Amino acid sequence: MQEDSRPDAALGLEGVPHTGEAITADGLLVEPQAEDFQHAKQAPKNPDWFKGAVFYEVLVRAFTDSNGDGTGDLRGLASRLDYLEWLGIDCLWLPPFYASPLRDGGYDISDFRAVLPEFGNIEDFVYLLDEAHRRGIRVITDLVLNHTSDAHPWFQQSRMDPDGPYGDYYVWSDDDSRYADARIIFVDTETSNWTYDPVRGQFYWHRFFSHQPDLNFENNDVQEAMLDTLRFWLDLGIDGFRLDAVPYLFEEEGTNCENLPRTHDFLKRCRKVVDDEYPGRILLAEANQWPSDVVEYFGDPEVGGDECHMAFHFPLMPRIFMAVRRESRFPISEILAQTPEIPTGTQWGIFLRNHDELTLEMVTDEERDYMYTEYAKDPRMKANIGIRRRLAPLLENDRNQQELFTAMLLSLPGSPVLYYGDEIGMGDNIWLGDRDAVRTPMQWTPDRNAGFSSCDPGRIYLPVIMDPIHGYQALNVEAQLNNASSLLNWTRRMIEVRKQHHALAEGTFIDLGGSNPSVLAYKRRWTRPDGHEDIVLCVNNLSRFPQPVELDLSEHRGTTPVELTGGVHFPQVGELPYLLTLPGHGFYWFQLATVGDDGESR
Amino acid sequence: MTEPQELVEKLLTELPGWLPAQRWFAGKDRPVGSVRPLRTTVLLEEPRLLHVVVEVEQADRVEAYQLLVTDRDESYEATGDGELTGHLLDLMAQGREIDGLSFEHEPDAELTDGLRGRPITSEQSNTSIIFGSQYILKLFRKLSYGPNPDLVLHRALRGVGCEHIAQPLGSITGELNGEQVTIGMLQQFLPDAVDGWAMATTSVRDLMADSEALHADQAGGDFAAEANRLGQAVATVHADLERALGQQDADDDDIAATVRAMGSRLDRVAEMVPALGPFVPALREAFDKALDGRSTIVVQNIHGDLHLGQVLRTVNGWLLIDFEGEPAAPAAERAALKSPLRDVAGMLRSFDYAAHQMLVGQDEDPLLTERALEWARRNRAAFCEGYADAAAEAVGDPRRHGELLRAFELDKAVYEVAYEYANRPEWLTVPLSSIARITGEGA
Ligand SMILES: Nc1ncnc2c1ncn2[C@@H]1O[C@H](COP(=O)(O)OP(=O)(O)OP(=O)(O)O)[C@@H](O)[C@H]1O
Repeated sequence: MQEDSRPDAALGLEGVPHTGEAITADGLLVEPQAEDFQHAKQAPKNPDWFKGAVFYEVLVRAFTDSNGDGTGDLRGLASRLDYLEWLGIDCLWLPPFYASPLRDGGYDISDFRAVLPEFGNIEDFVYLLDEAHRRGIRVITDLVLNHTSDAHPWFQQSRMDPDGPYGDYYVWSDDDSRYADARIIFVDTETSNWTYDPVRGQFYWHRFFSHQPDLNFENNDVQEAMLDTLRFWLDLGIDGFRLDAVPYLFEEEGTNCENLPRTHDFLKRCRKVVDDEYPGRILLAEANQWPSDVVEYFGDPEVGGDECHMAFHFPLMPRIFMAVRRESRFPISEILAQTPEIPTGTQWGIFLRNHDELTLEMVTDEERDYMYTEYAKDPRMKANIGIRRRLAPLLENDRNQQELFTAMLLSLPGSPVLYYGDEIGMGDNIWLGDRDAVRTPMQWTPDRNAGFSSCDPGRIYLPVIMDPIHGYQALNVEAQLNNASSLLNWTRRMIEVRKQHHALAEGTFIDLGGSNPSVLAYKRRWTRPDGHEDIVLCVNNLSRFPQPVELDLSEHRGTTPVELTGGVHFPQVGELPYLLTLPGHGFYWFQLATVGDDGESR
Repeated sequence: MTEPQELVEKLLTELPGWLPAQRWFAGKDRPVGSVRPLRTTVLLEEPRLLHVVVEVEQADRVEAYQLLVTDRDESYEATGDGELTGHLLDLMAQGREIDGLSFEHEPDAELTDGLRGRPITSEQSNTSIIFGSQYILKLFRKLSYGPNPDLVLHRALRGVGCEHIAQPLGSITGELNGEQVTIGMLQQFLPDAVDGWAMATTSVRDLMADSEALHADQAGGDFAAEANRLGQAVATVHADLERALGQQDADDDDIAATVRAMGSRLDRVAEMVPALGPFVPALREAFDKALDGRSTIVVQNIHGDLHLGQVLRTVNGWLLIDFEGEPAAPAAERAALKSPLRDVAGMLRSFDYAAHQMLVGQDEDPLLTERALEWARRNRAAFCEGYADAAAEAVGDPRRHGELLRAFELDKAVYEVAYEYANRPEWLTVPLSSIARITGEGA
C-alpha cells in the first residue's frame, strides 16, 4: 500500500498509538485499547453527584499552555486545578480534545482514541483526570456520536472500499434527494445535507458541515464501535460524556430526522453500558430542542430515566436575557411552566453562555428579532442562528446585571454550567472569525500573554483580549484574587452559598408570581432525607429601576426569612403579603425555616 | 357575647360615619341619610359571623350594600379575618343554604375547603378575598337586583370552554325584596397574574428612561408583542361570547340611538367642562360621520368596561376579568347588547393613558411627549392587528370600521373628561389631548 493513501495518513499521529496504525488481514483497522494505558484513580462514589454539581466548561486550548507552543494543553489545565477547586467547581466539561483536523473546533473528530497532539497525549489526559479526582473534581468530555471528520480512517476506508468492513459505516446514496424534510443546521455555510464524494462516486449525508459525514447507525457495527469508544474512555476513568448532537443519529424518510424512536433506542443501549459496567458515570445530552422533546432524552420516568442523566435546557437561556431586557419575568416563568417534570434520576444542565453562539433556535421568529436588536446591534455579532458574544459584553459590562444573571444561573432549577472566563467577566473579540470571538485565552495575570503562555505573542493560537475595558492588563484572575469585592470573589462566594443549600440543587421549583411583572420570585423546596424541609426563596429584580414587591408567603406565616449571603434576619412573615424592595437588578436569597404540617390550612 | 340583633343595632348607629370611609362605598359624593337593615343572616354562632344587608338612603338615591360583620374585632369588619372568611368557602364547598342565602359551587367544580382567606390589597370597588393560592371570592359590595352580568357572562364563557377567563367555580346568591341578588362569585385565582396596566407601564417606564434617542420598537421593554397577544385574547373572548349567547345585527334605529346617546353625553360634559368647548363641533361631526358612513354592525354581549386594568397576564397568556360592565351605568344599560368595537375602543384609550401617565403633572417635554405618542401608536396598532387575527368574520379588523371605532373612542374620551374634571384635574390633559389628536387626524 502506498504510504500517503494509508487511512491514517491525515491524522498527524505518527509515534503515538492511533486508529489505523495497522490493518488486519480482513481489512479491520487496529485501534488503541484502554489496557495499553494507565488508568486514573476513581472519583468518590456518589451516584447522584451530578444533581448538585457546579460544572465549568473549559477549552483545553484556551486555558493554559504548559510547553510554550502558544496553545493550551492538558498539562496546562492540570496546573490550574487548584484554582478551580478554590472556585468551588465540581465537574469540568471539556469540549473535544481528540485528534482532529480542527475545521469545527475539534467536533470533527478524526480519531476517537487519540488526543490532538498539540494538547498532549492519552497519558497527559490520565494525569489530568487523576489530579482532578484527587481534588474531588470530576471530568466529562464531549463525544460526538453523530458524525466523524472526513479525515477519520473509517471514512477513508468507507469511500475507498464500499464492499469492505467500513463500506456501510456512513450514509451513502446515489442521489441527493432523500430525507428532504430535514432542515439545514449551519445555514451560513451549507446549502444541502448531501455532498458528492468523487472517490466513491456517491453522495454522503451530513447534518452539519460537509466535512463531517454522519455515521450510519442502522449498521450494528457502527453501534458497537461507538459503544466501544465509550468504554475506552470510561476505562481510563472519565466521569461521563456530553453527547453532542444526539437528536440526529438516525434518518427516516418523511420525517425531519430529529428525535426519532431508534435514536432513543440507541441511547438506551449506551445507558445500559454505563449502568452495568460504569455506575456513577453520566451521560449529558446536547439536544437543542423544546423542553417537551428534550425530556424524551431522559428516558422512561417509570424507572427514573434510562437514557441520559442530564440534558441541557436550551430554551431557558435566551429567555433569561429576554426577561431582563423586557423587565418582565414572563419569558422565564413561561418556559419553566412549559417544562415538564423530569424523571427522578435526572437533572437539567443550565447555562448562560458556552463556546457556541448564544443560540436562538428555540425561540419564535419574533423573539429572535428581538434578541438580535437588543443583543447584537452590530451584525458581526451574529453567527448562524445566534449571537457570538460573551456574558460581560452582552450585559454591557454592568456588574449588577452580571451578578443578577449569575444568581439566577445558580438558583434556577438545574445544575449550573459556567463558561471559563465568565467568572472574571472576560470580554470577546468580534473581529475574530466564527465562534472564536468567545474562545480567546484565559486571562490569568497582567503579564505577557495574560499569563496564559510563555510563547512569543505572535505564536499564540488567538490573540488575548486587549481592549481598554476587558483587556488582560486590567482584567485577570490575579487582580481579582487580590480584590475582595471582585466579580471572581463574589462568584466564588455565591457558589459556596449555593452548596450550603441543597434546595438550590434538587429542590422543587415554585414560581411565586406576584403583582409586579419585573420581579421574578420563586421558592426551591427540598425535603431532606430526615424529613426536614429546606426552603430557599429567591427574589430577582429584572428591572434596572428599584422595585417593590408583595409576595404571598402565607404558607410561611411566623417564619423569619434569613438572607443567605450575610445571614441578616428579615421581618417575620405575617398575615399580610410580604413586602420587599429591591434595588435595580438586585436580588435576594433567603432561607425560609421549616414549615409546620398545617401549612396554609387553619 | 352580644345577641345578633344587638350587634346590628349598634352597627347601624355607626354606619353613617363609617360607610363614606370605605373605599368600596359608591356614594361618597353626597351625605349619607338613613341606613336601614334589610336582612341579617347568622352564618356562624361562635365566633360570630353575620351577613348583613343594609339600605342606604342618600338624597334621591337608595342602594343596598352588604357587610360581613363580627364582634371579634372592634371595627366589626370580618373580611380581614382569615378564619371567618374561610367559612364562606366551606359553605360553598358544601353547597349550603342558610336562611335564604345559597352557597353553591358550579355543578362540576370540586372545591377544597379549610383554607384561610385574606383580602387582596389592591384598591377596588368590591371586596375580594383570596383562599390559599387557589380561589378568589368577589363580594359585590353594592347589590343590584336581577342577574349579575359578571356571573352570567363568566358562566356562559366557561360553558363554551373559553380559555381567556379565570374560571368561575362558585357563587353566593340570595333574595332581596322578592328579587334575586348576587352576593359573591368564586373564581380560580391566578397567583402569577399581573394586570395589564402594570405590564404596560413597565414598558413605558423603560422607554422614557432611555437616554439615547430610541424608538419604541428598539426599546428593550417593547410591549408590541404583548399588545398583539392581548388583541388576540380580546377577540377570542368576543367570539366565545357570541358563540355562547349569540349576536344581532344592529338596525338603523339602534345605531341612531347609540349616536344620540353620545351626543347627549357630549352636551352634558361640555356644559360642565369649559375646556372641552373648542372640540365640540369636531366631536359632533365625528359622531355624525359614524352614523352616515357606517357599515352594518353586529351587537352582542361584550365586556363593557375594558381597559388595561381589567386584563391579567399569566404564564398561559392573557385573561379578561370583571365583566360587570360600566360601573356607573344602570343595570339595564349594562346588560344591553353592544358592539364589540366598544371594548376595542376602551383598550385603545387605555393604551393612551398608559403612554401618558408618567407625564401627568410634569413640565412639558417634547421628547418625552413624542415617545409617549410613539409608544401608544405602536401598541394600539399591535393590539388591533392581534384582534384582527383572531376576530370572528362579522367583526374582523377593527380598523375596517374606522369611523365607528373613532366615535366610540371619542365618546369614551368625553366620559374620561368628565371623570378627570371631577376627580383628578391634573389628568384632564390626557383625554383632552387625545380628543385634539383624534379629531385632528380625522379631519
Ligand atoms: N382570578 C384572579 N386571579 C388573580 N388576581 C385577580 C383575579 N381576579 C381579580 N384579581 C385581582 O384583583 C383585582 C380586583 O379584581 P376585580 O376587578 O374583579 O374587582 P373589582 O372590585 O370589580 O375591581 P374594580 O374596582 O377595579 O372594578 C384585579 O385588578 C386583579 O389584580
